[in-house]
Amino acid sequence: MSNSSKRNGLAVLLAFAAAMLTAMLLVAGCSGANSSTSNGSENPSSGTASGTSTPAAEPVQLQIFAANSLEKAMPQVQALYTSKHPEVTFADTQFKASGDLVEQMKAGGSCDVFISASSGSMDTAASNGNVDSSTRVDMFKNDLIIVKAKNSELKVDSLDIVKDPAITRIAIGDGATVPAGQYANQSLNSIKLYSEASGKDGTYDDAIVKKMIIADKVGTAANYVATGDCQIGFVYTSDLYRYDGIESAYTVPADSHKPIIYPGAVGAASQHAVAAKDFLSFCLSDPDALKIWAEYGFEVQ
Amino acid sequence: MRAFTAPSFSRIRLVAVTLVLAASLFLPGQALTAAVWAAADGSSAGSPEASFALADIQRANSGTARSYQGVDYGYRYPQANAQSFVVLVLSNTQAIVYLPAAKAAELGIDITDKSQQQAFLAQLKAADARLGNGGLSLAAMQPDCSFGFEPQVTIGQTVYSFGQEVEPGYYYTTIKATQKPGEDGRTPVAASTATPALFCLSGNLVASGQVAAPRPPSFLEQVQAFFISMDYRPFWVSLRTSLVALLFTFVFGLAAALLTVRSSSRLKAVLDSVFTIPMVLPPTVCGFLLLVAFGNSTAFGRWLLEHNIQLIFSWPAAVLAATVVAFPLMYRTARGAFEALDEDLLDAARSLGWGTWRIFFRLMLPLSWPSVAAGAVLAFARAMGEFGATLFVAGNYAGVTQTIPIAIYFQWMGGHSDVAVFWVFVVVLISFVVILFINWYAAHVQRYRRPLRKKDTNGKVAK
Repeated sequence: MSNSSKRNGLAVLLAFAAAMLTAMLLVAGCSGANSSTSNGSENPSSGTASGTSTPAAEPVQLQIFAANSLEKAMPQVQALYTSKHPEVTFADTQFKASGDLVEQMKAGGSCDVFISASSGSMDTAASNGNVDSSTRVDMFKNDLIIVKAKNSELKVDSLDIVKDPAITRIAIGDGATVPAGQYANQSLNSIKLYSEASGKDGTYDDAIVKKMIIADKVGTAANYVATGDCQIGFVYTSDLYRYDGIESAYTVPADSHKPIIYPGAVGAASQHAVAAKDFLSFCLSDPDALKIWAEYGFEVQ
Repeated sequence: MRAFTAPSFSRIRLVAVTLVLAASLFLPGQALTAAVWAAADGSSAGSPEASFALADIQRANSGTARSYQGVDYGYRYPQANAQSFVVLVLSNTQAIVYLPAAKAAELGIDITDKSQQQAFLAQLKAADARLGNGGLSLAAMQPDCSFGFEPQVTIGQTVYSFGQEVEPGYYYTTIKATQKPGEDGRTPVAASTATPALFCLSGNLVASGQVAAPRPPSFLEQVQAFFISMDYRPFWVSLRTSLVALLFTFVFGLAAALLTVRSSSRLKAVLDSVFTIPMVLPPTVCGFLLLVAFGNSTAFGRWLLEHNIQLIFSWPAAVLAATVVAFPLMYRTARGAFEALDEDLLDAARSLGWGTWRIFFRLMLPLSWPSVAAGAVLAFARAMGEFGATLFVAGNYAGVTQTIPIAIYFQWMGGHSDVAVFWVFVVVLISFVVILFINWYAAHVQRYRRPLRKKDTNGKVAK
């Protein structure tokens, strides 16, 4: 008797736990549904709005996934956009290595705009079905440089610096996910220090393999050099203007790697595809935005 | 200091001020050369000896070859306005300097005077050193500067034009290729194929009184600016996430502890392993498993997505991750407490006809409360400190899933070490308070026991 009541009590407790779990999922569902209803409320109304030819005023929040190198310039352009189009605001923009952003989209992270630092990662996103290929546009051009810590006495006049025995630690982006790392690997491949011409899935030559400090995004590579953890690093010219403590030592010849092009596209599952496309064209055509890109060294295509 | 005695955070701020003091030692100094000064952001420069100064200085590190409304304007750099001076650095050895003659005359400057030109360059170099931020610098390159006062210069096949109004109200310095020196010499080429400059500086000539050497902000102002510009959302996200996670952890932890205590010994070993495993596994493994379970890659995850339940990369995912990793702490302390209870006491309650439910709430929970509370506090602290699993399933969305530990990592990696230091301090403080609380609470419970004993002995002595 007491045994069965004990079991009953336990069953009640378990039922309670199960109820809490369902409640949690419901909360998750509600918040998901909430955001989607807010999205939904924008979507049909924007449809009617375009019908009545007053497409403004309906608030839109865009989620941007952007290459890590855009981390400082992009928020300024977003602020500019919001000041010119008050109905458009931006959710916390994700600035990661382009390869990581592709994975994030694949795992279910939704975005309205994806700007990649390489054509390759945009291709992958397109073949995963995460971006709308018809909206794809080449946005910026960048350069690959070798940086050193500010006030470092180091002189660099060719890529062969990586073989210099005095250089013991070189910061480089992870070729698997970081486009800057892939471009750097392509350049190293041109002097036979990296096995794959594509710049990824290869190995470094024995002469340098122990020196290479792999970074999860280009900003991390820049930071490694700025903090003195690495003597040199492969980053973009634009990274000079977002990190203190590094200076350009050498511009890697543009013919040693693929052209550094930043393609942008609207997310395939975007609820605000029109607003997203408008933002992309604003980035390329607005003269005030151009000033910001120019300041950070992004050559608008 | 009065500014920082706001009711909330006052103590945090006070100590953070000290930390900022330490951090500020690493910030670039405000060193100004005696003669020529430049603002910290490089936007203005001047010299007490010169009759003119430079304002609105900007440096375009790249331009664009984009045409505007179908017209090819060549390669163009934005400049401040129609009357801006422009310095186009073409190579390590060559630069073109354009000084607007009309503007100079207005200011009474003889711009053909070599010493005035040198004064101009000295000011510009000071500003450029700040604007360049480690890029190519005018001062280091020392290119040959050819001064010009006409808005158009032709060098070889390339035409350089200054103050070109491409769009209404927006002025550009343009570089146009005219014709390639081909065999026939007449092959037209697109203007935009011109070789760009390395970078382009522009700004306005002003009378020296119009801009002043900026006073470097005082230390207190820097601290104030730091705290005003600070994004405090990670704190609230952390607090919100940990509290909700604590709620779930508390309920599930007690339920799991009760279930384990009541199980047969063979089942107990299995259950205990299952419930404890999140504590042993690296948080990234927990995160990975959660991502696989709820993400786009499994049938369950897709089913959730189809029903509009976007768990991954949302706040509930952060709660889920924190709950999973904090759960074993709650479970293990509760289980230990339940096992330490006097079995006779529980049997006595049963013999009085109490149901399991009543025994649990009226007997087990009150008796083991100190341990359960300590477990809850530990679980809360663990949830607060969760990083790996949260990053995996909830990502880093400021104001949504960016908790303090995630903010620390990304601020540091983003080059904002001062903000990272602030959060590190906050976490150390919170952890300290948590441990202090547990110790205080334990002492409190013991004090509650001690007087009883003392009272007894006193009583005996009194008798």
